[in-house]
Amino acid sequence: MKKLLAVLLAAMMLVMAISAMAEANQILTVVTWDATTTPYLIAQKEAFEASHPGVTIEYVDVASQDYAVKTTTMLEGGDTSDVYMIKEIDNLINWQAQGFAAPLDTTGYDMSGFVGTEKNYAVDGVQYAIPFRSDFWVLFYNKDLFDAAGVAYPTNDMTWDQYAELARKLTDKEKGIYGTHYHTWLSAVVNWAVCGGQYTLADGTYDNLLYFYKLYQDLEDAGACMSYADLKAAGLHYSAAFANGNIAMLPMGYWYVSTLIGYNKDGTCSFNWGITAVPHADGVDAGSSFGNLTGAMINAKSEKKDLAWEYISWLGGPEGAKATASVGARPAWVSEDVAGAMSSVEGFPADETSKGALLPAGVAMEWPVAEKVSDIKTIVNEEHSLIMAREVTPEEGIEEMNERVKELFE
Amino acid sequence: MSQAEVRKARYRMGRLERKNTLVAYSFLAPNFIGFAVFTLVPVICAILLSLFEWNGGDISKLKFVGLDNYATIFATKKVAEKGIGYFFNRADLGIALKNTVYYTVVTVPLTIVCALALALLLNKIKGAVFFRTVFFFPYVSSMVAICVCWSFMLMKDGPVNQLIMALGIDFNKSWTADSTMAIWSIILVSVWRNMGYYMVLYLAALQGIPRELMEAATVDGANKWQQFLHVTLPQLKPTTFFVSVMMVISCFKIYDVVAIMTDGGPGRATKMLVTYIYDEAFVKIRYGQASAISMVLLVIVLAVTIIQFGSEKKFSND
Repeated sequence: MKKLLAVLLAAMMLVMAISAMAEANQILTVVTWDATTTPYLIAQKEAFEASHPGVTIEYVDVASQDYAVKTTTMLEGGDTSDVYMIKEIDNLINWQAQGFAAPLDTTGYDMSGFVGTEKNYAVDGVQYAIPFRSDFWVLFYNKDLFDAAGVAYPTNDMTWDQYAELARKLTDKEKGIYGTHYHTWLSAVVNWAVCGGQYTLADGTYDNLLYFYKLYQDLEDAGACMSYADLKAAGLHYSAAFANGNIAMLPMGYWYVSTLIGYNKDGTCSFNWGITAVPHADGVDAGSSFGNLTGAMINAKSEKKDLAWEYISWLGGPEGAKATASVGARPAWVSEDVAGAMSSVEGFPADETSKGALLPAGVAMEWPVAEKVSDIKTIVNEEHSLIMAREVTPEEGIEEMNERVKELFE
Repeated sequence: MSQAEVRKARYRMGRLERKNTLVAYSFLAPNFIGFAVFTLVPVICAILLSLFEWNGGDISKLKFVGLDNYATIFATKKVAEKGIGYFFNRADLGIALKNTVYYTVVTVPLTIVCALALALLLNKIKGAVFFRTVFFFPYVSSMVAICVCWSFMLMKDGPVNQLIMALGIDFNKSWTADSTMAIWSIILVSVWRNMGYYMVLYLAALQGIPRELMEAATVDGANKWQQFLHVTLPQLKPTTFFVSVMMVISCFKIYDVVAIMTDGGPGRATKMLVTYIYDEAFVKIRYGQASAISMVLLVIVLAVTIIQFGSEKKFSND
């Protein structure tokens, strides 16, 4: 009898020890994209685990180009991963409507540092996600190519016409140098029309894009940038194109800073580079840009909602922001501390212009949250590809955009 | 035999029969269960779903809308207002339908001609085994790899265009980025990939043609062309029938090549029925509407198959 009791006691202690260990080592699964190659994800994981002993962040990696489709399918299938990162705002709006996003109780949580961007993640006044990265577009340039051509570096208050002139000046066909580079996306070519916040791509008229299509086609004709058709067929990624060292300027999202710093470290490229604010159009303040939010939501099916909240509230707040900024990415939380952390990252260009580019005059949303926005996106992108491939003139393409978007609401 | 014995024998026979039937069913079961779970039930669900509006999530969010989804995809309001031309020139479904039919009508005969020509060529020459393997190779290669390679070949300054230029034709456009050529790049890759497979089917059929028929034709003084036209071709009818049925169905379901090479573009130049279904279902999360489009696809494939089987007799050997 005594023996039996001893065995029972021992077994109980073992069970308790195991459950204590399990509690001490909690795993939080976070669905995200490019987890192994994105420096800020690695930095965030390390910082969170260091400040929360016993918690392990486990990333579920999904290919970035299929992110929206695959994650929606996962959620449909009843996936119980705790946290989902949000690539585009309308993904969250869809997920909220489908009941996949758990409502957040933000009483007592300081959101002042998000300067209002968090409202993009609220539906009917209820917060469903916390932003942790806020990217805006800047102009990257290759200092070595500017030096070699004896041309002064671009500035933070350049207009688009000045930019086009610079691109022509730096183009050297014999040496295979392109003055600038346009990635194939709509956002890289004409999204500039939304800078300044007077206009959005869901407004239903697209005449504002004409100026930018013309600007692009003139540069392509002059050989100052690679042709859209070739880029599309070759599937050349902008990161590899700029890292080649034969492109003088590249309008691109701020996220590319951390990639370039990484490239400099691992020797993929060794030239000097800097950033400026994107050029501005007439009547728009210098330093106006557009951008996108990245955030995190809690899966309604998660069984660790408290821990998940602990994680996403940390991720968006000042502590998470420091981790995000430590590798050159731009957190959604804005403060002097964070700006300092961003420019003091090893490998960030030391010049004043680049530091100045960190403080945009205003950031409009790339795509607003609006009715039928996914249909509008499809239409605008389809016509965009026709204009870019020169199947139709910009005027014809824009007329088609106007017409088709109008039909959508009839 | 007494009555009792007869009854006993009958009972035994009945038991044997039942046993045999059970054995037969048990052999059929794995296939049927698989079919039921992965094909039959989803098809029935899709038929029902096409009558609902559903943007995913909880099943409680299903909303019955009758034929609204069909009205939307056929753009009935606009068609009534502007005529049938609107459907084929502007509505997504009309354009996808047009593209898919165009692709099928060109790809099927082209593949059959290429496969048959290859089979005839490789039927008796030396080193046939080597060449057969070469032509069959694309069929077992990864589709993604094939499409990426072809995308490079069809670039503006790619090898294909250089060949065309060398022939004195002025053509320097990227195939996949040009709205008239894009669909041809899809056709080219499909034909190139599939002809090896159908070649093997034709080779097998060629082996089955009785030698006496050929000999008789030779004795009667038929030349090679006449032999092909009046002996070989009629003997290949069942194979051609089979190949064309399989190909038409697979052509209507074209997705992978388009998704990798053109993504339906430029514009809507290579938008196909299945890419349209995919967009509606998984990009725009409108399962009801996507199901309605798949019903259109189902009806078309079914109709084509019924017509083809209806004319099967014409294709049989006797």
